[in-house]
Amino acid sequence: MKVLPSVCPACGNGLNVKSLICQNCQTEVQGRYDLPPLAGLSLDDQQFILDFIKASGSLKEMAGLLGLSYPTVRNRLDEIIERIKLAQQQNENT
Amino acid sequence: MTQIATPVTAVSHRSLAQWLFNPFRFIAGFKALLLGLIIIALTSLLGSLSNTHFDGTLDVHTGLQTAYTGMQLPLWLFLAEGLINWLSLALPLYFFGLILSRSSLRFIDVLGTQALARWPYLLTALVMMPPSNKRITRYFMSLAMQGPAADPLNYLDMTVFIFAMLVTILMVVWMVVLMYRAYSLCCNIKGAKAVITFIISLIGAEVLSKLAIFAVFTRI
Repeated sequence: MKVLPSVCPACGNGLNVKSLICQNCQTEVQGRYDLPPLAGLSLDDQQFILDFIKASGSLKEMAGLLGLSYPTVRNRLDEIIERIKLAQQQNENT
Repeated sequence: MTQIATPVTAVSHRSLAQWLFNPFRFIAGFKALLLGLIIIALTSLLGSLSNTHFDGTLDVHTGLQTAYTGMQLPLWLFLAEGLINWLSLALPLYFFGLILSRSSLRFIDVLGTQALARWPYLLTALVMMPPSNKRITRYFMSLAMQGPAADPLNYLDMTVFIFAMLVTILMVVWMVVLMYRAYSLCCNIKGAKAVITFIISLIGAEVLSKLAIFAVFTRI
């Protein structure tokens, strides 16, 4: 699976979506759309969030499933929250 | 039927180094507390058998006056020392965590991991078991107190004693590393802020535990 880039490889700034295409009829929509904040995260972080939602948002359950302690999982989630906040702040500034 | 979600997030690899120097990545909370309390109890039991006192958060003293007078102190005193040492550090660390951390920390994590972080002292209590340590202590105590002459020193006793001292120094360093890692992880505090508050807590704990243990000793 190709990884959706969220940062410009040339200057390091955030990328926007320019065009979208329908997989059925090939209709193409062009414009300038912001990437959702979650798309700016690494694949690992995105997967963690998906697993967290599947675990009904229970850190305890996540810790059990991953074989990690509760504070380790909580810290990981806190780091992701910080990254999302930072990305949102950058988006607002630009 | 309830289906348990299987996480796709990579399950953490547990290396020996991680178990030795950062076991709290895998164990915290109630499990750590239970294991830590068992370790404190075992350390106290071994300490009572070899007259080794953990009379301060980081202190280890073998024999003391008991080696000289032959007086056997009760087991509860050794247990009290272990519990005082543990709580003297865990409480200020939790306090700093509440002030500085942006995460929602759990008291049981701080208590449990700090109890478990004391496990190197179980090894210290073990290496203090051989009677050579008692004989050496008795010898030096008799010299210091100018009492009746103790048995002369022999090479085996000296070797065992020096080995025990070296192991103890290593265990102190190891235990402090574990205590710091437990604090940093459970309170989610890193960098200079974590190091400074940990050092302040450790110094405070040393003073607090000394005073509390002295108060307990005076009740005997």
